[in-house]
This record gives sequence, C-alpha cells and structure tokens, in this order.
Amino acid sequence: MTELVTLSIDGKQVTVPKGTLVVDAAKQAGIDIPVFCYHPKMEPAGMCRMCLVELGRPMIDRATGQPVLENGQPKIQWAPKLETACTNVVSDGMVVLTRSEKARAGQQEILEFLLTSHPLDCPVCDKGGECPLQNLTLDYGPGKSRFLYNEKHHAEKHVPLGELIWLDRERCIQCGRCVRFQRLVAGEPVLAFDERGRDTEIITNSEPAFDSIFSGNTTDICPVGALTTADFRFGARPWELKSAASLCAQCPVGCNITFNTRREAKSGGRVVIKRVMPRQNEEVNEIWICDKGRFAYHFTESEARLRQPLIRRNGQLQPASWEEALDLAAAKLKAAGKDALILAGGRLSNEDLFNLKKLADGLGAQSVLYTHVGGGDLVTQIGLASGTNLADLGKGDTILVAACDLYEEAPIWWLRVKQAADRGATLIVVNARATRLDKHAGYVVRYAPGDETVTLQGLLKQDKIGAAIREAGNLLVFYAADGLDLNGSTSVAAACANLLIETGHFGRPNNGLIGVWPHANDQGAWEIGFRPEADLAAALKGKTVYIAAADPAGDDPRLAKALQDAGTVIVQELFQTATASLAEVVLPAAAYTEREGTFTSGERRVQRYYPAVPRWAETKADYVITAEIGQRLGLDLEAGAPALVFNRLTAEITAFAGLSYRKLAEVRPQWPIVGRADLYYGGTTYENKQGLGVHLAAAASAGESPHLPEVRKGSGPRPQEDALLAVPVTKLYDLGVTVRSSVLLEARIGLPAITIHPLTAEKMGLKAGEKAMIGLGGHENEVLVKLDETIPAGVALVPRSMGLPVSAPAPLSVGKAK
Amino acid sequence: MSLAEKYPEEIKRILAKYPPEHKRSALMPLLYLAQREKGYVDNHAMNEIAEMLEITPTEVAAMIGFYTLYHGEPAGKLRIQVCVDLPCALRGADKFLADLCANLGIEPGGTTADGLVTVEPVMCLAACDKAPVFQTQGPDGIAYHENMTVEKTMQLVEALRESGKEVK
Repeated sequence: MTELVTLSIDGKQVTVPKGTLVVDAAKQAGIDIPVFCYHPKMEPAGMCRMCLVELGRPMIDRATGQPVLENGQPKIQWAPKLETACTNVVSDGMVVLTRSEKARAGQQEILEFLLTSHPLDCPVCDKGGECPLQNLTLDYGPGKSRFLYNEKHHAEKHVPLGELIWLDRERCIQCGRCVRFQRLVAGEPVLAFDERGRDTEIITNSEPAFDSIFSGNTTDICPVGALTTADFRFGARPWELKSAASLCAQCPVGCNITFNTRREAKSGGRVVIKRVMPRQNEEVNEIWICDKGRFAYHFTESEARLRQPLIRRNGQLQPASWEEALDLAAAKLKAAGKDALILAGGRLSNEDLFNLKKLADGLGAQSVLYTHVGGGDLVTQIGLASGTNLADLGKGDTILVAACDLYEEAPIWWLRVKQAADRGATLIVVNARATRLDKHAGYVVRYAPGDETVTLQGLLKQDKIGAAIREAGNLLVFYAADGLDLNGSTSVAAACANLLIETGHFGRPNNGLIGVWPHANDQGAWEIGFRPEADLAAALKGKTVYIAAADPAGDDPRLAKALQDAGTVIVQELFQTATASLAEVVLPAAAYTEREGTFTSGERRVQRYYPAVPRWAETKADYVITAEIGQRLGLDLEAGAPALVFNRLTAEITAFAGLSYRKLAEVRPQWPIVGRADLYYGGTTYENKQGLGVHLAAAASAGESPHLPEVRKGSGPRPQEDALLAVPVTKLYDLGVTVRSSVLLEARIGLPAITIHPLTAEKMGLKAGEKAMIGLGGHENEVLVKLDETIPAGVALVPRSMGLPVSAPAPLSVGKAK
Repeated sequence: MSLAEKYPEEIKRILAKYPPEHKRSALMPLLYLAQREKGYVDNHAMNEIAEMLEITPTEVAAMIGFYTLYHGEPAGKLRIQVCVDLPCALRGADKFLADLCANLGIEPGGTTADGLVTVEPVMCLAACDKAPVFQTQGPDGIAYHENMTVEKTMQLVEALRESGKEVK
C-alpha cells in the first residue's frame, strides 16, 4: 500500500501518494498550476519558473518534535520566496497557495519576462489556437510589458531540424521539453542546447539531422510554436480542424491516434487529413506515436488510389461497373468452389477478415494469411491477458526479445520495453545481429543463422539468463522473423512458447507471447482462423485466388510467377499493385480512414477506429465487397455496418465472446490528464473519449492448459563457405504500399541497400556507400552497400519491401555495379 | 588525420582516468586535446569524439556551445577576450574594446585579415580592479593581461606578428 500524504492547496484538502509533486497533486484536485518546462511524463527540471506558488510547511518544535500550534491550528512556516510547484514534493500538512496575490505576481512576472524575447507572431504561427504560451498569457500575463526594448530578440525563424521538423528559434522559450524528451523518453539524445543565457538555442548535429523516429512527439509537447512538423506547417489553423478517433495501421502496436481533417479549396473541395495526432491510451502508446505513424498516412489519399472496379477485357484491365465486377468475381469463385483460395493481408479489419473467412468456409476454400511471421495460434493460446500494461513492468520482471528488431518493426513497443528496462526489468535480446535494443539489454545472446531455435531452447540451461527467465515475476516474450522466413519464425515462436509454458508465465496479466507482426491486424486474422501457407507458390497453383490487401507479386517474383500460373486472380486493393496488374477482376477498396472497423493488436487488444474522411471515388469497404460477392453465392454475409459484422463475429469466435462496439468504446480516467483546455500540461495529445479497447480472452486465462508446441528440429539455411546468404530484415521506412506515398519520408526510405560484414566487403572489393549488383532469386538488382561488423560473416541483410526479392534466406551473389 | 591516429597515447591516458561506464566524462579533456590542433573543434573531431565516448555528436556540440573556452568555429591564431562586464566598463573597458578594434580595423568578434588576431567581448574574467583586462587564448595556452591600454596591446600584437610567439 502506498503511503498517502494530505496537504492543502488553495484551501482544498488533497490526499495523494507520498512522493507526488505539488504540481501533479494540484492537477489531481482539479487545480491548474501553469507550467512550461514541466511535463508529467518526465522528471522535473525547474527551468521555466512558471509554476511559482506560495508554499508553507507546519512548524515543528525542535524540543518535542511536535507541530507548533497557534490558536489550536498548526503554525505554518512559509518559504521566504515563491517556490516552483514542479520540483517540490508534497508533505503532510503542507499549505500551497497557487492564486494568491504574491503567487500571481510571480507568475505574471515570469510571463512578462518570457515575452520579452518572444516574437508574438501568433497570427501566422501554427500553434496559434492551441498554444500554451498564448493561453497562459491570456490567463496569467500582464496586459502590457514594462520592458522598453527597441531591439526585440531576433533569431532564425525557419530552421529545418531534418526533413520532418522545423524550428523557429525566435519562438523558442528554452523550456527544454524537446531536449529532455529525446534524452529521457526516446533515448535518442540528438537535440541539445547550444550557447547559454539569452543566446541559448536548440541544435542537432546528428546525421541525418534530428535522427530520431520519435521526433514528431516534440511538436506535441513543445509549449510554443517553436517546433512544427513539415507536414502540418502552414497547413491549417487548429480551430478549422475536425477530429476523428482512429488507430495507426502501420504496425501491430495499435497506437491510438486522432486524424485532424478539413474541407479545403486547395484539395478541390475534398475533406482531407491535415495531420495525425496521438490519442492517449496509457496501456498502448501512452501519449506518443512514432514518426512512421505520424507521417506515413498519405497513402490513404493518394491520387494513385484505384477509383473504380476493373475487368480484364481482351487482355487489358478496363473500367467496369460494380455489378459487372462483383458478378464476374462471384461466378469465378462459384465455379472454383473448394479450388478457390482466399489470401488476405493483415491490413484488413476484423470485420473484413471475418466476412472473407465466412466466404471461404462457404466455398469450402482455404483461407490463407499473407505474412512472414508465424505462430499466431500460439499467441492465441498464451498471448497477453486483460490487465496487461507494459508500464507496470519493472524490477523483478523479464522481457525477452527474440529474432526481432523491435526498433524498426514496432517503435512504440521498443520505447516501452526500453522504459521497462530503465525501471529495472531484465531485458534479454536474442538475435543473430546487433539491434538498437542491445544497448538497454541486461543480456545479449547472439546466434549463428540457423541456430535460432537451439539457442532459445538452451536459454534455461544458462545460469543467469535461465534464472532471469524462470524466476521472473512477469515474463513477456516478443518474437518476429528477423533474418528468417515463415518456417523459421514459426519455430522461434514455438521455442518461445515453450519457455513461457515451462516456466508457468502465461494466462495472467503481463505474461505471455507477443508476435511482432508486419501489419496492424495479423493477430486478428489468426484469431479468426486464417493461417499462413509455408509454400504459397505451390498452394496457388491452379487455384482461383481472391486476394485482399496483399501484394505477393510485388514482394516476390516467384509468387508473381505462381499467380500467372494460377487460375483466375481477383484482387481487392487500394492501389494498382503488381498483383492487381495480374488480376482478372480488380475491386477498389476504401481506405481504413474512410470507414469504421476494429483491429486486434499484437497484444491481443481489440480497438475501434472511426471514419475520418468520405469514401474515395467509387470504392467500397472491404467487408461490403466480400459480403456482396457472398450474397451472389447464396451466402448470408453482413454488409450493413461493421458493428453488425462484429456482432456475428463475437457470436462465432470464442475469443471475441462478450465484446461489442459499445464495450470497445468504453473509457476510464487516465493519468496524466491530457488534451483538455490546459494544453500546457500534457501537450496537444488528444484525450481518449472514444474507447481504450478490450483484450481478447486468452485461452490459457480461461483455464485451458496450453499444449507444448513441437519445435522443429531442423534449422534454417546456414551461410556457406563461398557464397553469401541473404537474410530478410524489416526496415521501418520501406517501400510498402502504406509508406511510399509519403513524400516526407522519401529521404528516410532511401535506396535499397544490403548490409554485410566489413571483411566480406573487403573480400569482394566493396566499400561502404558504394553501389553493387546483387543476384537474388534469379533477379539482378542494384543496391547500396552498408557495413556492420556485428553481423556474421557470410550473411547479407536484405530489407523486405524495398523491391528486392527476399522472402526467405537464400543464396546471394554480389558483384560490382555496372 | 584523425585524433586517434595522431594522439593514440594521449587519448588512452585520458580514457584511463575514468571508469568505462562513465567514459563520457572524458569529453572535457578530449575537447581540449582536439582544440589544441586548430584553435577550434571541427565537425570531424566532434564526430570522432562522440564515437569514442558513445554519445551523440549533438551532445558534444552542446558542450562546446556551453563552455566559452571551447570553440566550434575557426578564428585568429590568438583570441583576445576583453571583459566588458559592468565594473570593467566603469574603468573604460567598453572604450578600450572599441578603440582596439578600430586600431586593428575589425568589428568586435572579428578577425584581422592576416588571420592573426580575433577580438571578442566576454563576460567576467574576475579581475575588475585591473580593468581594462583581457585574456588571450592561443596555441600557447591562456594568459591574463591586466591594466591594458590600446598601445600596449598593439605592441603585443606586433610582437606576435614578428615572432609567431605570444609575449607574456
């Protein structure tokens, strides 16, 4: 039980846990103390002096140790000067006055002083309308300044801190929130103060500049318009924007976001997304999002989106009506019957996937999930249970990250795992190469490619690591497919599941297995019954294939070949992908921003997203398209509304039992309080009023005992003496359909590059940054060469979704560029 | 040539003074070493030091920015740093600075055309009673020059021009 302390703030009795800061205690009691540098997610700095208050403590008689009484009341010893509420910790009997004449005078003077070097260019400032300095000036500031500076402080107004964030040095009040966020929260100290006194300014010297994947968050917590995103800068005034609650669709974390939209002449009278803001969910993303989530949404409104159905006539894809396209698709599927195959991607919602599964079941066809990460069935059994919050993990707990580059694959999980390690959790990183997480790990275990499962199986036999796993209060295991294909990843999942089951870490909160999927809703697909196919090319042979939200032909030339050899191909997509170009029928789908739905995150939390913008051209939502095909086949599929599909899903799939859209929309009070009128406190993150989501019930928490999965004995391919082995790795900014449309990220996506050991490079006569020709899967590609001395010799890291055909470890030849 | 190539022994000696988990503490002496080279720390050296200490180049630059005796930009061979705080100003430091600059044909903060001398106004050198006072920073280290006149200063500059060495 935490010890409680009672104090008085503005005459109100407040009881808070010992150790609480005065500024937070006041906030909990509904009393706002103005702040600039203090942020509830970071340690106080006491730099800006805005939170000055009168502070007194009961006087203690030295002889008796008892409080001195005056007229029967404890006598208060007032601090001689005003004190900062952000650096003082509460104590019993403390008396705080936040709005007394003296306190107000202090606050006014600080504001007056800050404004002497502030340009007051609110009419052209992007922060205008949601600016803490603007608001506090109105609330606390003097109407006039007593300073008569002819020369106002002038500084550079347009400083790009990299391609994503701009700095206005004149507006900066040197609160250091951005510097401290980068150092304390993101662990990427690439911002700092240069000079001092009135010359203090923010700098970045990293290469590329402001080299962080969390940089956008600094614009949310910046209390003035000093930091703005290249995306929203001069884009709109905050008060013109409407907001729609949504989820980020880029990775399986399921960050809660808000789309800010506006109807504008510039976009031909369309309602368009102007920016992405984080939405608070302390159990998922707290109040942060990564830059991919913030800057890669442009795919949803790309001009390249499919506008209408297409049918192949005389060898050419030509526009058709929905009736024609749906009739043709239905006829082809009907003719194929159980020889049809449904291939779905994890970008689809639970509702879309449910309808697709029902359609497959109706046809007697196979329903396949398109993914390179396996083991979702194990996650269903021993995945995370309700009540899980990564923020609860700390001393005594253990987190294992296996065959996964969490930083590139799921940034916010990386952030939260790192913070758990900062709080004292034991972090074990098991991988074939170094990743950004190693720095924060207690134990780093490296294996040679092919030894991944053996290594994981042997962990319990190691003294310290074995104990850290066995004796962990809570044990979380993240796994993916770093350097592996589907088979390798399935084995890793099984080995990880065994660790959890053997040591009894499952079926309760904060324990279990997490698949780091390539998409937002792969876990949902597993729950609904989709399974990946180890040999997809063989499975496609002769089938009538209905592909939704996946681009196998674009990823792998062998799959393109397999699709050419397949029967009919029906593709439901956002874009004219390589796969769509091979199709007989192309069905244009609505983006997730244009409709409602739910995703199941890797933590097995089901969350809702809401429509943000109207549907593009003639597109239809995926679940509607599938339902309309189903109806033509005499199947009873729901096309009415996602909520209705969801009701059917909950009735049929045990894990979803008891859920409803209403339940997913429930909220609870969260700390810190953000997004209200007092934007100075937590930043411009949106308050969550639309739902925190609900965890699926894990089979294990319902009392079912999980079966120990069999771990594949054989190993993946190993590098050979005289040939390089290409292994697939995931890159945060790649050329996937959901990223490449973002112009902002072009530089960060960069050119396709392979990474090899310096000795390998030397042997081949290659240097870092040079171009080389690689031969992979019978194709030649030009790539850049990068060096990394932590990777095994004989191995080349080849990024997925960068136009290089790498779906599995495979031999690679490297030569000089032509 | 990198610092590591040029001063391997000295770097080793500096790093050995700090426990490996706190090796970032070696930043100050390493910057001092790097600055000895050209009178300022260039980007190349900043990156090299950052890599050596496993911190970001931004953190190195911030340290150079914070301390007035580290410089991130090139300047003259000798930096003449004139104190212009209030007590010194009362003893004529302001006028001294203006006159000295006029004599050298530069603005405060500027460098003479031959790249020999840079004159900079600075804050508090803790020698108010001996103002006008300046401090010189150059290849031979740091030295104080008290109760100065423009004439005496010009002699000092001339001597430096002829000998290439600073006259103490």
